[in-house]
Amino acid sequence: MSDEKTCVGAIAGAYGVNGELRIKSYCARAEDIETYAPLSDESGSRHFHLALIRPIKNGFAARITEVSTKEQADALKGTQLYARRDQLPSLADDEFYYADLIGLAVYDSGGVRLGQVKSVQNHGAADLLELQLGTSATTALLPFTQATVPLVDLAAGRIIVDPPEGAL
Amino acid sequence: MSRSVWKGPFVDSYVLKKAEAARESGRNEVIKIWSRRSTILPQFVGLTFGVYNGQKHIPVNVSEDMIGQKFGEYSPTRTYYGHAADKKAKRK
Repeated sequence: MSDEKTCVGAIAGAYGVNGELRIKSYCARAEDIETYAPLSDESGSRHFHLALIRPIKNGFAARITEVSTKEQADALKGTQLYARRDQLPSLADDEFYYADLIGLAVYDSGGVRLGQVKSVQNHGAADLLELQLGTSATTALLPFTQATVPLVDLAAGRIIVDPPEGAL
Repeated sequence: MSRSVWKGPFVDSYVLKKAEAARESGRNEVIKIWSRRSTILPQFVGLTFGVYNGQKHIPVNVSEDMIGQKFGEYSPTRTYYGHAADKKAKRK
């Protein structure tokens, strides 16, 4: 699990002419992106030591140790920033990172495979799992509750669901 | 202008009937409704409604904090997935 990565932000371009960068953060608390440094690019070949300077419109102005000119900053435009999965703080019981849930195989209580988790959503009421059913494009939403999802087995890469009537 | 208090909260009558039937049956089911304009009442707490967003029914577990809001507020009509990043889900 330690070599898994999750995308936590992106470089949107240069900010000013002194080698500062415009950073977009995808984190739940945007400023947390700094705590996951060093970040890497998608391939993992480049590492970035990121320091936020101040919030700006749609992101942060930041400085990266290896970047000192506007040209270097422009060259990094569009780079996605990844954090190692083991850099994320550990969670309490019954809390899960979206990144861990997405892709898990979904079985019903009888052991029949229903599909896999496509996304996790929250529209203000409760967390919802969007399941991709079988190989089709059809999706279904299930509330992420103890009653509906009695077992989450991250090690085995599967969850067991007991969907309410009419949910699938 | 806000709704007059003397009228009471608005709820489509079929929503009330469906909620009552679901509560009496005691079954674990999603109550499919199309009425996004209905107010969430105290008797809906603990039930799960499938609120139509124009395409599908979004499950909404009603809790006490939601009383007085409209069902439509919990069933967005536009989809934005975003990035998972470090976002957390809590199993309640």
